[in-house]
Amino acid sequence: MATIKLCKAADVSPGNSLRIEPENLPPLAVFNVEGEFYVINDTCSHGDASLCDGEIEDGEVECPWHNAKFCIKTGKALTFPAVEPQQTYKTAVIDGEVCIDI
Amino acid sequence: MTTQHRINLEQNGSAYACAEDDTLLRAGLRAGLGLAYECNVGACGSCKFDLLDGEVRDLFPEATGLRAKERERGKRLACQCVPVTDCRIKIRSGDEYVSAIRPQRFKARFVGRTTLTRDISLFSFATDMPARFLPGQYAMLSAPQLPQARAYSMSNIPNKEGIWQFIIRHVPGGRATTFLFEHLRENDEMDIDAPFGIAYLRTEVKRPIVGIAGGSGLAPVLSVMRGAAGLAASAGPVLLYGGRTPEDIPDVPQLTRAAEIHVDYHPVISAPEAGAAQSWGGDVGFVHEFIERKLSAPLPDYEYYLAGPPPMIEASVRLLVGDHKVPQDQIHYDRFF
Repeated sequence: MATIKLCKAADVSPGNSLRIEPENLPPLAVFNVEGEFYVINDTCSHGDASLCDGEIEDGEVECPWHNAKFCIKTGKALTFPAVEPQQTYKTAVIDGEVCIDI
Repeated sequence: MTTQHRINLEQNGSAYACAEDDTLLRAGLRAGLGLAYECNVGACGSCKFDLLDGEVRDLFPEATGLRAKERERGKRLACQCVPVTDCRIKIRSGDEYVSAIRPQRFKARFVGRTTLTRDISLFSFATDMPARFLPGQYAMLSAPQLPQARAYSMSNIPNKEGIWQFIIRHVPGGRATTFLFEHLRENDEMDIDAPFGIAYLRTEVKRPIVGIAGGSGLAPVLSVMRGAAGLAASAGPVLLYGGRTPEDIPDVPQLTRAAEIHVDYHPVISAPEAGAAQSWGGDVGFVHEFIERKLSAPLPDYEYYLAGPPPMIEASVRLLVGDHKVPQDQIHYDRFF
């Protein structure tokens, strides 16, 4: 297992997201939900759209293309047309950096 | 001649001409561009775009394919907007949306209606040129008497004779279907714009075909199976068809016999308490509940074509993708919701 730094925690303010393209990983979406950080795959499991372009509300993100909603914390697909979950990553803030374990 | 406006696409610099009486979406598809879409009637939201420059007229501001918030931010649906000036837009696109057969507008003559159930009929139209479409696609039908074009899937296959057939359900109080069922007379003309849709028969795929249909969704699934009959498939197609009561189930064996195709057919009714249920010896429940039982191989071994009520499509996709890990690109449907 390895820990990867994605961005500074200060780069993602509460209620917002940031798209990161790390090497050897799919594009990732870093979310700040009321001070807690979560990382899931950025590309919607249904269509080819970036969840970082979507609306964030009540811990859910809505895909900007077909409006499928996902739980940011669990990655679960909450509404059609998405049925598959987004992959989630174990996330921690270490020395002011958002990090994931892979 | 109708005034033409130039539509410039922000993402790749391409441009096309759009007549003032044509929608941004349909004109783009006519020009051979792969603008993202599914339903063409304002319901699915796939063709949403940002208007960066210029002016459009929105034919259907109440369309459910956009959220109020998206409208406030200036998003529009390409299938419901006609240009007023030249425009610059940002819209999603992809090769999978490029029309193999470019849609065209033409007149078609109504030549007859055959009753299939108490509220579903087969409508036939004739044109002077060959009927060109891919099995599983749909057409936009309109008439001066109707405020909006409606999408109906073809149930037949492309043909030199120029025959277009549709299976249509009479929606109680529905303006378009009341016109079609009650006011349309033989030899009356309607305007057709076709073909459209991305749930067409994948001829390169050798997996056996499963059709899952309900109501008038029988049309595209029948078309796909008729189209596939001309190919060397590894096995015969399986068709699951759901209706509320026995009276809502068309005589599918008769339709497939007439089309000279062999289909492993499984009707399912969902409302056993209604009327003539006693005489129904077949399956009762929701159609998706029978998918696993009626298929002998693991579910990822098949190619799926779906058409029908939104809950049927959603439940089927959830079962196939969520529970049985069928790859999403093996499941084909146009989302009209």
